[in-house]
Amino acid sequence: MTAPALQIRDLHASVGELSILNGVDLDVPAGEVHVLMGPNGSGKSTLCHVLMGKDEYTATGSALVNGAEIMGLSVTDRARAGLFEAFQYPTVIPGVSLDQLTDEMEAAADDGEAFRARVESASDHLGMDRFRDRPVNDGLSGGEKKRSEMYQLAVANPRVAVLDEVDSGLDVDAVREVAELVEELRSPDLGVLLITHYSRILRYMKPDRIHVMVAGKIVRSGGPEVADQLEDEGYDTLRGSDQPDQDDPLLDLL
Amino acid sequence: MIPLDQQAFERAIDGAPSWLVDQRRDGLDHFEKFSMPSEREENWRYVELDFDIRDLAVPDAAGDLADGPGLIADLDAPVGSVRIVDGHVTGIEGGEPATLITTAEAAATLGAVAANHLNTGIAPDTDVFAAAHRAFSTGGAFVHVPARTLVDGPILVDIAATAAGSISFPQLTIVAEQSSEVSVLVRFHSPNGVAITVVPQVEVFGGANANVKLTTIQNWGDETQAFGHQRLVAGADTQLHFAEAGLGGRLSRLHLMVDLEGRGSNAEILGAYFGDRDQVLDYRYFMRHAGPSTSSDMFLKGAVEDQALSVFTGMIRIEEEAQKTNAFQTNRNLILSEGAAAQSVPNLEILANDVRCGHGSTVGPLDPEQRYYLTSRGLTPERADRLQVTGFFNEALSRFPESAVAARVAEAITAKYVAAVEEGRL
Ligand SMILES: Nc1ncnc2c1ncn2[C@@H]1O[C@H](COP(=O)(O)OP(=O)(O)OP(=O)(O)O)[C@@H](O)[C@H]1O
Ligand SMILES: [Mg+2]
Repeated sequence: MTAPALQIRDLHASVGELSILNGVDLDVPAGEVHVLMGPNGSGKSTLCHVLMGKDEYTATGSALVNGAEIMGLSVTDRARAGLFEAFQYPTVIPGVSLDQLTDEMEAAADDGEAFRARVESASDHLGMDRFRDRPVNDGLSGGEKKRSEMYQLAVANPRVAVLDEVDSGLDVDAVREVAELVEELRSPDLGVLLITHYSRILRYMKPDRIHVMVAGKIVRSGGPEVADQLEDEGYDTLRGSDQPDQDDPLLDLL
Repeated sequence: MIPLDQQAFERAIDGAPSWLVDQRRDGLDHFEKFSMPSEREENWRYVELDFDIRDLAVPDAAGDLADGPGLIADLDAPVGSVRIVDGHVTGIEGGEPATLITTAEAAATLGAVAANHLNTGIAPDTDVFAAAHRAFSTGGAFVHVPARTLVDGPILVDIAATAAGSISFPQLTIVAEQSSEVSVLVRFHSPNGVAITVVPQVEVFGGANANVKLTTIQNWGDETQAFGHQRLVAGADTQLHFAEAGLGGRLSRLHLMVDLEGRGSNAEILGAYFGDRDQVLDYRYFMRHAGPSTSSDMFLKGAVEDQALSVFTGMIRIEEEAQKTNAFQTNRNLILSEGAAAQSVPNLEILANDVRCGHGSTVGPLDPEQRYYLTSRGLTPERADRLQVTGFFNEALSRFPESAVAARVAEAITAKYVAAVEEGRL
């Protein structure tokens, strides 16, 4: 097995007294797409932010991107190490156009021509032309914001992408589009962790594994059947149980 | 240099028609009675003055301008330009199809057009500076745009001051008759390191259905203090646009009065200011809706760093007859360092009942959520903050009437921000 693009070990995070992540272990091998599901408030977005280095969280544990430790690095350096976060609630940047942002990303990325080529092809592909002059996320519909996040992902060309509910608030066609895009982005150089509440998106893509987070821990990992089970039974059977599913081969390794 | 007494007054009325002499005498009477404003007066709150205007003197003649081309001097194809140095017009040309002449010439040749407008916008009882301007101004520029005349391109008005210890009273009057259109760019500047006081006066009269754009770049030197008065008056369906970029000065104050007299008239008032070191940028804006179905939008964005102070007090007054009026004012301020401060005081006085009004005022630091989002895209925190500042001002600058000027102001603001970072003040 190749080294995982993303390897998380014993990750804890808290805000003040509130402990949100309680020992997360997770591997996403390069070339694979993993899905993370879990009830509201279980800590999925927190996981994304803690990986990205948002400073309001106090975190301990380890996270490797392409084998290099990112915990302790600045947000900028984590991005440069190859991590990309697509936000559940993308921040509005008033007065700054998407083009201005990608220009700055280009200056920071230091892979000039290839970067330009990605801007143009991703823009074409995602129909971003009419958004590029507009301020980042300002006045965009929910779906347009997600599209903009996917566009920035394609442009940034990371090694690890954590996609936080990029399918929320999208109409059926847009969900399929996002799923197909994730499949298109699949490459031996990229590991994807996709957070979703809807098994709907899984109809259009082939995730390699599905993980379930409850109360800041991964409580279940398995194949696509996990999503079907959740659809039928909800999270109730998983809540309160700290016992990993004994049939689950991955969890045996932890 | 001539002290502010009878001698300066005599010089100001030299060759003036009698109505102008009367105006100036009225100014002198008020000047003699006024004392220096105090912070206790509502209109002067937050800013303390540490000098007496009577200690200053007016320059005999225009000084030499060592200053380079500056922010607007090399813009494409102005239709006319005028330069006023130390209160004296040193060059004036073009302007056609508008008439661009000195105030003195306007008073002598334009008859009622001059007499009905010149100095009627700023009352000498406003404060000691307005009174002094009225009494001692040796003039400036007069722009007359005849009815149904469209002036194709901006008129540049370059206003400078050079003499240490001096006070000067430059003046600009714009009369845009019915259904005319004109855009005027004003640039204020003076050398750094020279203590100078300037009291500019700008009056704009927009006739029915006229469209007047006025863009001001305030780029005074770092030891200059300026106390400007400006009045904009709108007739029926007049469109007024005023945009100011506040960049320079040790203390730069602008007292703006807008009167939407005519039915259906509209004013858009924009501002972008950046105070660094110990600068004080002081805006006192008054928007008066007198005509029905009038609308106004004030939108000012400012930033302060180090020990700088900015003041914005915005008063919207809607008279009883001004039904179906829309009036909005927004003032947003970025505090970039702990020692800096911004006062933002919106006020509404509404006498009519069928109106839509709103105001928003914010004072705060850079947004950490924006910094997080931008750094997650690989930008350094420094570039992320710079981009945030750029965007913040762009919201105002993108609405400036002259986009080429707005682009330069954006650069100038970025340069001020970058200097603050590089010099370790942020
Ligand atoms: N900065 C914070 N301050 C206080 N509480 C926080 C903070 N961030 C997250 N939390 C809390 O931590 C818990 C996990 O939040 P998180 O946003 O990670 O959940 P989630 O799994 O992404 O939920 P959802 O499915 O609704 O998006 C919630 O109870 C939330 O209120
Ligand atoms: Mg979430």
